[in-house]
Amino acid sequence: MKFEDSSQNLRGRIWLVQIFVVLLLALLGVRLYYLQLVRGQYYAEIAQNQRIRLLPITAPRGVIFDRDGHPLVDSRIIYSVILSREDLRGRNPLTLVAPLAAALAVDGDILRDRFVQIASQPAFESILVKQDATPGDIAWVEAHELEFPELRVEQQPQRRYPPNGLLAHVLGYVGEISPEQLKQNSYKDKGLRPGDVIGQSGLEQTYDDYLRGKDGYRKVIVDSRGRIQDEIETIAPQPGQDLVTTIDLDLQEVAEEQLRTSATKRGVIVVMNPNNGEVLALASAPTFDPNLFSERIGTREGRAEYAALLNDPDKPLINRAVQSRYPPGSTWKVPMAIAGLQQGAITLDHSNLVCGGGIQVGNKFTRCMGNHGTPDLKTAITKSCDGYFYRLGLKMGIDGIMAMVDEFDLGRRTGIDIPNEVISLTPSPELKQKTQPQNAEWKDIDTVYASFGQVYDIITPIALLRTIAGISVGGDLYVPHFLKELRPVNATGPFELRAGRSFQPLDGARPNPKKLSISEDFHHLVVEGMWGVVNNGGTAASIRMAGFDIAGKTGTAQVVENGKDTGKNKDHAWFVSYAPAYKPEIALVALIENSGFGGQNAAPAVRRVYDVYYRKTRNEEPPGALPVAKTPKPEDKNEPKKAPAEIAQNQ
Amino acid sequence: MVARIQKRGLRDFDWLLAILAIGIVCFGTIQIRYAQPTENFWVKQLIGLGIAIVAMLAVAFNDYRKLLNIAPAFYVFGLLLLVIVLIPGIGLKINGQRAWIRVPGIGQFQPSEFVKVTTAMMLARYFGKHRTNALTLKELAMGGLILGLPIALILLEHDMGQVLTYVPILIVVLFLSGIKMRFVVAAIVLGVVLLPFAYWVGIKTHLIKNYQQERINVILDPEKADRRGFGYNTWQSILTVGEGGLLGAGNSSAYSQSSLKFLPEPHTDFIFAVLAGSTGFVGCIIVLLAYVLLLSRLIAGAKRAPDRMGMLVVMATVGGLTCQIFINVGMSLGILPVIGVPLPLMSAGLASLIATFIAIGFAISVQLRRFVN
Repeated sequence: MKFEDSSQNLRGRIWLVQIFVVLLLALLGVRLYYLQLVRGQYYAEIAQNQRIRLLPITAPRGVIFDRDGHPLVDSRIIYSVILSREDLRGRNPLTLVAPLAAALAVDGDILRDRFVQIASQPAFESILVKQDATPGDIAWVEAHELEFPELRVEQQPQRRYPPNGLLAHVLGYVGEISPEQLKQNSYKDKGLRPGDVIGQSGLEQTYDDYLRGKDGYRKVIVDSRGRIQDEIETIAPQPGQDLVTTIDLDLQEVAEEQLRTSATKRGVIVVMNPNNGEVLALASAPTFDPNLFSERIGTREGRAEYAALLNDPDKPLINRAVQSRYPPGSTWKVPMAIAGLQQGAITLDHSNLVCGGGIQVGNKFTRCMGNHGTPDLKTAITKSCDGYFYRLGLKMGIDGIMAMVDEFDLGRRTGIDIPNEVISLTPSPELKQKTQPQNAEWKDIDTVYASFGQVYDIITPIALLRTIAGISVGGDLYVPHFLKELRPVNATGPFELRAGRSFQPLDGARPNPKKLSISEDFHHLVVEGMWGVVNNGGTAASIRMAGFDIAGKTGTAQVVENGKDTGKNKDHAWFVSYAPAYKPEIALVALIENSGFGGQNAAPAVRRVYDVYYRKTRNEEPPGALPVAKTPKPEDKNEPKKAPAEIAQNQ
Repeated sequence: MVARIQKRGLRDFDWLLAILAIGIVCFGTIQIRYAQPTENFWVKQLIGLGIAIVAMLAVAFNDYRKLLNIAPAFYVFGLLLLVIVLIPGIGLKINGQRAWIRVPGIGQFQPSEFVKVTTAMMLARYFGKHRTNALTLKELAMGGLILGLPIALILLEHDMGQVLTYVPILIVVLFLSGIKMRFVVAAIVLGVVLLPFAYWVGIKTHLIKNYQQERINVILDPEKADRRGFGYNTWQSILTVGEGGLLGAGNSSAYSQSSLKFLPEPHTDFIFAVLAGSTGFVGCIIVLLAYVLLLSRLIAGAKRAPDRMGMLVVMATVGGLTCQIFINVGMSLGILPVIGVPLPLMSAGLASLIATFIAIGFAISVQLRRFVN
């Protein structure tokens, strides 16, 4: 110190300042040690994560083909405007609804719903703002990068279904996974996240795991505003497996055409190969446009369209072949006949039972539609004699009928590979207790009802077809299915090879086929009866094809009691059949709702399907082909068809 | 006479001090360039360094006593600058603070940085008389006034951060001017008690704005704070520092917190975070040691000062610089709230750079004259 003064120990005070300086900076050093060495790894990870984004590349779903290799469903590439959660930076997405709705011409209310619904999901990464964006939309998003850094345009595949609702009930449709589905473990375990598109119906749903590809991603570096600066790596998506169905498009088209031109335009036609269970055609009418779900469900118009489908009294969304139950009427008599023989209620030599024009049970007389004397089994089938089967049913008893139901799997699902198959209602004292608790005791009259396909027999068309097809080939009950082949997909990038496969029953414990032991003689006798239905003056004689023996059974299922069965409450017309009678290739069930007698209304529709099959397989005009169906004029809607008379003349 | 001074000047010139300061600036310029590779801030910083060295030499080779004798003139000039900056059209408004004057060719200039030096000069001159007794109340009031005038003007600029760096200048001067130790202790105790109270009153009366409160909350608990809102800057700075680890990412990594613009103001307020990210713990400690060395060197010089005035002007500089370093680095490390205070010698900014070098020039001048009378 060059200057001396006595004031308050100056040298000491300067020292204090020096110490203070060193202490302060040492404190910073300690903090640095903590941040960089103790917690460095942790912060580095956060820092790196905030500049790395994984942008998913949606994998295209597998293409669905018909059995001849024609594509039925494929995907096209569309552009979608996406809102990325990361780049929202905690802002409330609802504030964006108004500007986005205005700029991108989307419905504000729907957008708000989506934001509310998806933004509440913890794992969401992006919200779809607009599907199928126009070039104008894309330009707008790019021009407003600074204002809305959270918006991105992404390429996405969009499912394309056949026009006119063709095969809609079989193919099903895809849709975004719902919040309810996300809560279920079966979906969670597959790693599905909000916004994922999955199969929601039909084959799309059943084989979703195979059809759905594995999404790839782009790993990019973004700046603080979410703008992409660089791409680190790209993992190409692995497309889903292509699915070859058993569908024969020609048969499918003619089947749908038959329903479309039928009297009530409501019904089912299913065509199946009885030798292996392959479904060649499944038509359910009325139908719907599955493109609604892949293209338009996010718009106001699309939602109105969906609401209209849900409210339509004809229930177009229902697959009538597997989701609707009908009394089978006289078609029920075919398994009854087999079971009657098997159980010994009748024998090959003594199969005659009295018709009697009906039967008196207690104080109630139940009519037969004619008086057939004392027919044998073959005649009883051909003529569809109710009186015969009333007595057969009584001889078998309810236990015998229940044994038959069990043997033919009529009380179980068929195991068809499309979802939501319902179980048929079959006769049993339990069923009566449930449906008529005030009159719960099972009586003989109930057995009579149960023996001719009414009241207690309410079954799905697919279950009936499986039974008849099984009987046609002598007792092999195959699981009906649409899957011919899932094609393999090669391993790419991190994704493993996806092996191809053919159809396996979804319920692995199920034997395919279920083998019934039907003796040759029993089989022969019943087939003769069914052959006669078409070829020996039976109830469907009008559709006879010389040289192509159709065996079948008509059914007329009462909707309401006799006398009121007109107009809307007309009987359901059934015809279940197969051909050729002694070397089956194809089995067919047709049901036209509320159209009247099976022989008059269902059988001709079936005949036109057989015509197409015949042309395809025999390469010649079918004998006595029906004129190509024309859309009926409105006035002959409720008139009985005149076609059978014309055919008779042609022959 | 001049030749003699010059010859002796070269020998007695505090080379270490000057080289330390210039070294820190150069190292800082590398970080500026790294932080803003697409801008020319680093070029401006090098130009500024040139001007600063000239200013430093000009001050160093002049007798600090002559300069301090006309300190009132400098002081008044400084106050004038602070008034001018408030005039719309001349004063530039950046981030809500009207603290800059546009200078053609160089860019903007922040007078409050410069006025720090003139205020320190004025304080040194006022308290630099020969002293035998303790500080009087009148002297205390005078000191408060000298500091109060520029502070009041800076508050009008809404530049809270700068105000905080002014206060320690007076504190150091008073401390070394024989203020009674019991006042020092009393002030510390009162501060510890009053600070939370004042904060509470500030919140209740809304004198402390919401965003200021949030910036303090993020210090108290950065993990839970609003990391996307007001806590964003602090959180990003912590991430940048933490990512640096032991050795840092180096300047090679193409994508950094600053180049991707996660870290705001990387070339000015958060230059230390950039340094921490690129050079890691080792680099940070080296820079902190350089600062300690520089400050110690200034203190050593102050001790050898030939008179009280010289000692005070150097120690005032030490007080100002220490405080500014601590606030800026503390802010980058998430222990102090975000207030716009540049890191001396490292942050890009002409005024800060030149003012610091002028202050160092004073220290060198004081040293050079340690043997005179």
